[in-house]
Amino acid sequence: MPHNMTNHRHRFNRRHFLKVAGTTVGAATVDFPTFIPRSVFAAPGRPGANDRFVIAHIGVGGMGGTHLSNMLRFQKEGKVRIAAVCDCDDNTLEAAYLNTQSQAKPYRDYRYILERKDIDAVLIATPDHWHAVQTVQACQSGKHVYVEKPASVTVRDGQAMVNAARANKVAVQVGAQARTAKGAWQTCRAIRNGIVGRVSKVTCWHYASPADTNPVPDTEPPEGLDWDLWLGPLPWRPFNRRYCPANFRWIMESGGGQIRDRGAHQFSTILWCLDADQQTSFTVDAQGTVPTHGLWDTAVDMRAVFQFKHPDWTLEWGQPGDKVGKTEFGNVFWGDQGHLVLEWEGGYRPANPEAINFQMPPGGKEVYRTDEYEDFNMNHKADWFKSIREGHLRPAVDIEIAHRTATLCNLANLSLMLGRKLVWDGDKQEVVGDAAANRMLSRPQRPPYCL
Amino acid sequence: MTANELKTTTLLAGAATALPHAQAAEAVGDLIARIKSADDLIRGPAWQGAGAAGAAAVKPLAALLTDANFEVARSAKRALYKIIRHADRPGATAEARAVETELVGLLNTSAVPARREALWMLSEIGSDHAIAPMAALLTDTEVREDARCALMRFPGAQATKALKSAFAHAPQEFKYALAESLRQRGVKVDGYPSQRLVPTRQTRVGQPQTN
Repeated sequence: MPHNMTNHRHRFNRRHFLKVAGTTVGAATVDFPTFIPRSVFAAPGRPGANDRFVIAHIGVGGMGGTHLSNMLRFQKEGKVRIAAVCDCDDNTLEAAYLNTQSQAKPYRDYRYILERKDIDAVLIATPDHWHAVQTVQACQSGKHVYVEKPASVTVRDGQAMVNAARANKVAVQVGAQARTAKGAWQTCRAIRNGIVGRVSKVTCWHYASPADTNPVPDTEPPEGLDWDLWLGPLPWRPFNRRYCPANFRWIMESGGGQIRDRGAHQFSTILWCLDADQQTSFTVDAQGTVPTHGLWDTAVDMRAVFQFKHPDWTLEWGQPGDKVGKTEFGNVFWGDQGHLVLEWEGGYRPANPEAINFQMPPGGKEVYRTDEYEDFNMNHKADWFKSIREGHLRPAVDIEIAHRTATLCNLANLSLMLGRKLVWDGDKQEVVGDAAANRMLSRPQRPPYCL
Repeated sequence: MTANELKTTTLLAGAATALPHAQAAEAVGDLIARIKSADDLIRGPAWQGAGAAGAAAVKPLAALLTDANFEVARSAKRALYKIIRHADRPGATAEARAVETELVGLLNTSAVPARREALWMLSEIGSDHAIAPMAALLTDTEVREDARCALMRFPGAQATKALKSAFAHAPQEFKYALAESLRQRGVKVDGYPSQRLVPTRQTRVGQPQTN
């Protein structure tokens, strides 16, 4: 544990955080505090009170490589120490280990990391079916967590993650980075302050998922890959090259397709822009076509319509949908005074010029965003560290927010699989009047890789 | 949709309900023939449109789960899931129970994939009537883990009782998994501590090279 971290966490508690949340700056009301004791901030050459988090990476392929690059930069700035890297594939692990100049301890089994008392926080970038188990166990071992999106593959997994974060008083940030990205923020403040008037509909467009045009038979796993550990909570089955490394995305039980991948980004941004995180009840009706052959079973084309009440608005996922913008995917906010396009999720692409140039009206409500790094991947992690240092433990994409976003994705896939519309009661966390759907809100896990 | 596909779809929609036996059998026979096709353009739409085929198609489709052509086996499995998820819709209890009965029948087949898939399918559609025959497979070393997982999806005391009973007689190596299940369902279990947090896997990365 870094020096002072525990004490400080309790000294600057959530009550204090909420108390200062009404602070005003100029004419605009600020949603979150900007008045933070200077001493808690770090800067080059001036270590903050809770500097040098000792961190570990669980899963270092794909997006995990970006996380490692980010942490190497934080390490260079004296803000973290990378103590360990972990991956179930020795080939991937070796590259990461060498990337740390052989300074981090390499592990195949993440549970060695959970045993280490000196590690404060973990970054999890394993396939989606691992997120819940590893996050819950990391929370239970007292570690703060940054976990890739989507938060979970089932609703019950997501609930367990929220409960674990709260019970163990740790910060769990989910990697839907747009909520700390400039483009999404500019769009958010413009939408919230009426650039298109009252928004009644948001439509997403996204290119189709791939189909496996060349199915292959099961084989032995490649040298260095611990297939049993890769499967983890999933039922055991023989290795097939169409599962991994990245293809898990196109398998329903592990990746959930585009809607659970990019949808987790886009829905997160949309809910933020509409200030709709509390609208947890909705109906969802999804249709789509899945590949006629091959291992991959997520929708190639998909349309999912979510209806929210009080206030009433519609969210439409289109794969491919109606492309209004210029790039591969994005969404449109349709208001009674016009519409505004957001390319991608507002992170890797800038906001629309109308949003960038938006002038806050008198009495307008400003939107808080951590703004420490231009690079939004770095900034999202800085936001996570900030929530730990400040002690409120509620980063921008706190696990509860991400669980709600993932619920949209997971229930759209469930509606697609069941071939019927679902009515979701967010308070009770159950599908109304559909026992079969409720049974599928969880998926049994294979011990010992289970919640 | 071709004329043949339209005919099959219409017949399948009736197969689960009121069609005369001969017509229903014809529809199922046609479905199976199309699932066995080597042509994706025939086999794909066949499994995707199989939802309404109902209980009558369960056994013939299950027989294809071990087909030498893995695409045929995969299509049969997906057709079965379409049937299950259609039959299990709200208000279709009779259809669901008919499908459940057929799936329970599969639990005794010699083909491991059929027993395994039947267990997972029953985890979605099974009622309490399926619990005892499913629990019987907790002693089947080939599929006992699937049986344990499938029973975990059943709410209520009966599945817990079945797991408890299996735990009492299970071989040592399977007791840990059953103990894990029972604890998740709020049952106190002596011994057989959880292995969830016990690291076991070693990497060769960063280790000194040995010749």
